[in-house]
Amino acid sequence: MSAALLAVLIPLLAAPLLGFFGSPRAGAIAILILNCGVFPLTIAVASSPGDGLLHADGLGIIFGVLTGFVGLSTAISNIAFVRGEAARMSVRRWRVYHAMCLVMIGTTLLGLYADNIGLLWVAVEGATISATLGVSLPRTASALEAAWKYFVLGGVGIALALFGTMLTYLAAQPILGPGLQAMSFAALAGNAAHLDGSLMTLAFVFLLFGYGTKAALVPLHGWLPDAYAEGPVPLTATLSGLMLNVALIALLRFRHLLEANFAASGGAMRPGPFLFSLGLASLFLTAFSLWRRRDARRFFGFSSIEHSGIAVFAFGIGGAAAIFGGLLHMILHTLIKSALFQALTRGAAMRGGAGPDNYGFSHLRGMMTTSKPLGWLLAFCVFALAGLPPSGLFCSEFLIISQTIQLVPVLSLPLGIGLLICAIAIIRQVGPLVFAPAPKGTEAAIAGRGIGFTYLHLILMLVVAFAMPAFLVTALSGIATALQ
Amino acid sequence: MNFVYPLAHALGGVMLLCAFSLLSQRRLAAMISIYQIEAIVLTLAAFWQGFAQHATELYLTGVITLVIKAVIAPIALRRIVQRFAMIRAVETAMPVGLSMILGVGLIGVAVLVVLPTTMNSVTLTREDLAISLSIVLLGLLVMTTRRNALSQVIGFLSTENGLVLAAIGMPGMPFVAELSVALLVLVAFLVVGVFVFRVREHFDTLDLTGIEEIERRGR
Repeated sequence: MSAALLAVLIPLLAAPLLGFFGSPRAGAIAILILNCGVFPLTIAVASSPGDGLLHADGLGIIFGVLTGFVGLSTAISNIAFVRGEAARMSVRRWRVYHAMCLVMIGTTLLGLYADNIGLLWVAVEGATISATLGVSLPRTASALEAAWKYFVLGGVGIALALFGTMLTYLAAQPILGPGLQAMSFAALAGNAAHLDGSLMTLAFVFLLFGYGTKAALVPLHGWLPDAYAEGPVPLTATLSGLMLNVALIALLRFRHLLEANFAASGGAMRPGPFLFSLGLASLFLTAFSLWRRRDARRFFGFSSIEHSGIAVFAFGIGGAAAIFGGLLHMILHTLIKSALFQALTRGAAMRGGAGPDNYGFSHLRGMMTTSKPLGWLLAFCVFALAGLPPSGLFCSEFLIISQTIQLVPVLSLPLGIGLLICAIAIIRQVGPLVFAPAPKGTEAAIAGRGIGFTYLHLILMLVVAFAMPAFLVTALSGIATALQ
Repeated sequence: MNFVYPLAHALGGVMLLCAFSLLSQRRLAAMISIYQIEAIVLTLAAFWQGFAQHATELYLTGVITLVIKAVIAPIALRRIVQRFAMIRAVETAMPVGLSMILGVGLIGVAVLVVLPTTMNSVTLTREDLAISLSIVLLGLLVMTTRRNALSQVIGFLSTENGLVLAAIGMPGMPFVAELSVALLVLVAFLVVGVFVFRVREHFDTLDLTGIEEIERRGR
């Protein structure tokens, strides 16, 4: 049994157990133990990638390790979250919550490792269901609304993605024959030049709107801010943020099929314009939405839309360097955003629990007076998210901009303006959130253990951006060249 | 000349007719009945394709469709209607006539998009694909033109029938039964969701106009 299969199966098989047994505290500890097992497995996938349906390629391995790491650190901060919030939900709902955390990690890994377009689709579908259940858990009217919105939008997206998947099979079936081969990414990429180009274009449009919904690209982004804001944050914001990567990678792989077919004049349209226009739309919508948000979770939810948009824009520009930049951007953004949400939940818990309005900026103001380590952590995270140097995101954004100037110069001005507006909107939150005087009656508190692990995210982010180990450079540039 | 093409197309055509008449129906009970007919026809289509392609897997898809979509789902939906006393006509977001005109347009788009791009494929697949894309789009149209959660669910169920119709028409596609089961899980969650979420408790009705509440409450 390969490591890839084990890494996917362990969380998925353990989920029903956690769903029926255990106290909230026991559930949180069980998740931590399981994630301690899954994280080394995601590293071991590099030497035992599996075969057949579940065959991890380089891209899957790198993002699998990232998923394992974020899963582990979320499990650590989850213990504090559960301790603080235990009274807010019934034991049964906590069980569902913990089961859905595991399903989310399992399906994310499945989506990353799958070498089959049908299996990828199943993974995305499973993740959607578990995220929806998670969002609905607080049972408030607005949480149910958010869950319903997520379900309807996500369901439509999934339906479109399935239609696109079937069209891809239909395009590949004359070349690769009926059966599993015609659904394998490896086989499809190897024969991309011979696929039916016009059918592939049609399939790509459906896949773009299907997986684009999951990647929260404008105009399909409506579910994301609500889902982030209404559900329990570790599940619906941190873990389901990992699913954005799966959707983006799926888009990247299908884009490659289309691009290779176009390059071999197989009759397909260029995927670039589709991708960079959706990416720019996401960037600009966020640039203007960020200014009006009063709820921190919604605010950072919109920033996830922005970064999804930047990655898709980079994929749309094409060329090995831009794709390298896009992938780097996804890795760095995942590290920063998960650290940020961990810091936010901790901060909100120290200000009296995660009630409906406890994530408002006015409520979280002046985190420094509550706890110095947490205040600095929050300051670093928000600053890093803005993408100004010395944040790692500066590297990836610089790479993407320079490639845009080289390949599609017309787009470099709108890209730069959008990035700048977003950066200003984010950076202006640092002051009030961290250094401003706190609301009256706030007392200093101790941030507690586990916060050091969140700092590790930021250190890793700096290492990946400025001192990337040689093997990672080789691996990422190899992937980018193969998928250009 | 065998019966394969005409019968497959006839079954697909009946499904398309059902999907189209969902648009014009304003009563939930009637929408559920139409959906039930659509699911039964889909079962027949799956059996027919299984026979024509000599694929035993498709019989399995047919049985699953029959049991869950043609029997269990309609019963569950009717229960919800009874329990929440939703006999009255549901509110639509646009006039029925307009949505039907849009529906005709969508069918036209589906045919114009699918037929020219699939020149190299088997005729059966081509036309089946055009029909199923039309059903998918009509289902989505039902979802957008209704304000009521339950009729949105029925729209999604119809969309899902269209997807399964496309899947069974693909020559030799693996995982058809598995994919249709995965879709059914989603559908089950939707139907149970209306039950469990008890949207009614929070909004007084199953109308989703209240969804704007989030917008008003400052983000």
